[in-house]
Amino acid sequence: MEEVTFKIAQESKVRKKPSFIKPWLGLKYLFKKPVTIKIPYEMTEPAKDYRGFHTLNWKTCIGCNMCGQICPARAIEMTWIEGEKRPHPKIDYGRCTFCQFCVEVCPTGALGFVESYMLTTEWKEEELQLFDWVPIPPEKFREIQEARRDWKFPVERMEFNKETGEVTYHLRDGTEFRFRILGYGLKPPAAKPAENKEAEKSAEKQE
Amino acid sequence: MIETALKVLFILLYATFVGFMFMGIIRIVTARIHRRVGPPIYQPILDTIKLLSKESNITHGFIYDFGILYAVGATILAVMFIPLGSIGVLRAYGDLILITFLLEIPMLGIMFAAMSSGNPWAGIGAQRALLTLLAIQVPLGFAVIALAEYYGTFSTYEIVMAQQISGWSIAHFPLLLAAIAYDLVLQAMFGKEPFDIMIAPGEISLGPMVEFGGKHMGLLNIQHAIALFAETLFFSNIFLGGGVVTAFSSPVLNTIAGLLVLLVKQIAVLLVATFMAAIFPRFTIDQAAKFYWKWPTIIAALGAILASL
Ligand code: SF4
Ligand code: SF4
Repeated sequence: MEEVTFKIAQESKVRKKPSFIKPWLGLKYLFKKPVTIKIPYEMTEPAKDYRGFHTLNWKTCIGCNMCGQICPARAIEMTWIEGEKRPHPKIDYGRCTFCQFCVEVCPTGALGFVESYMLTTEWKEEELQLFDWVPIPPEKFREIQEARRDWKFPVERMEFNKETGEVTYHLRDGTEFRFRILGYGLKPPAAKPAENKEAEKSAEKQE
Repeated sequence: MIETALKVLFILLYATFVGFMFMGIIRIVTARIHRRVGPPIYQPILDTIKLLSKESNITHGFIYDFGILYAVGATILAVMFIPLGSIGVLRAYGDLILITFLLEIPMLGIMFAAMSSGNPWAGIGAQRALLTLLAIQVPLGFAVIALAEYYGTFSTYEIVMAQQISGWSIAHFPLLLAAIAYDLVLQAMFGKEPFDIMIAPGEISLGPMVEFGGKHMGLLNIQHAIALFAETLFFSNIFLGGGVVTAFSSPVLNTIAGLLVLLVKQIAVLLVATFMAAIFPRFTIDQAAKFYWKWPTIIAALGAILASL
């Protein structure tokens, strides 16, 4: 058998003698400049590609639900939007862990992310809607991020009409972003009952 | 009569305000030692205002309320006996033992209130506090004896006057020993590390203070502020030569100068305590008792013996 030698540090070298004098060295920072970032007045720069909020290129997303399948928190729900042939992912930041697996797995690169990470709301129902969104296109998000550089969520206010499914994002640069949600899930909504059943069957078969 | 009442009011306001500033200084200095910025100096005042304006105030009965008032009252009484420069209401009666005693009474008041809350954490805290109180008595006693032996009087005011002639107490070797012992005791009286065993944040979740909230805690904050002022004032008076200034011809200027001199001395005492608190970890209660009965006692006893030779 091969002989293995382990290196073990000597107890006597590791153990320090207790002292009443040495703790006073702790005072050496008393007149140094504090190492503090005064947050409301100074900003910190997040690292490049810091894992923040998502962006979605609506033109290239093919609605394959890869992102929904890999999401460990099941934060992604497919959403059917009026005028789009394929469903798009809707991300619930109440559950999202910002692991960005969904970005990694997206076959077309439609899902992306930016460095913004600040999203605070009050407990009010209408403000809590901010946590649940279909990400906006990356160019728009970047534009807002560059304009302010305070790393906040780009949507100031969200209006959601439950009956008509109309959603309005009031973006921070003052523009509005509107679309209409027709339904959720993998199956296209508003289809006739018969079709719906067929689609269900085919889905079952596929599984 | 009215003059005395005005004086009392002045001392009270001054002590509370300066006490709060001291609390702020402690927080800032501790922060700087940790390389933090820390809160603004008036932060303890804001804290206290916030506490006093709380809407819900839980009480556990008469003793629970009374203990706090008792603590505040005793602290205020202690301040009245300690000569504050040339201002003093009861300074002629301000005898060393009385003041030492009065400075410990608040602890008992807090203990009363804490024990009557029925919270086991408060009970543990109270036990620890009482043991600390017991432990500091021995060195404290010797330090007081050393002083009394050296100056031949128990009156604080006379000791201050004697220091005007013979120089600060700490300049004399036996009294220096007593001062060192007393300074170690101060650490426990302030409730600062390494002897903050009775409060022990993180260990027994604030000990006696665990049940207090709202106005009770606000009053305790005020008490703490005045106690900080009183304890540092007492130390500066008996060991650092007090604050009697006779350099100016006008008595008002003399008084103000005296207060300023005292303030500098008090802050010096406070800074030493803050430094110790920031760099030493907390003792366990048995270590603290052993420590107080060992080193400070030996030092203070030596001082007392040397002073009586
Ligand atoms: S974002 Fe990517 S992974 Fe998700 S549905 Fe669209 S194309 Fe598929
Ligand atoms: S970042 Fe992770 S947790 Fe969040 S939606 Fe994507 S896969 Fe799910």
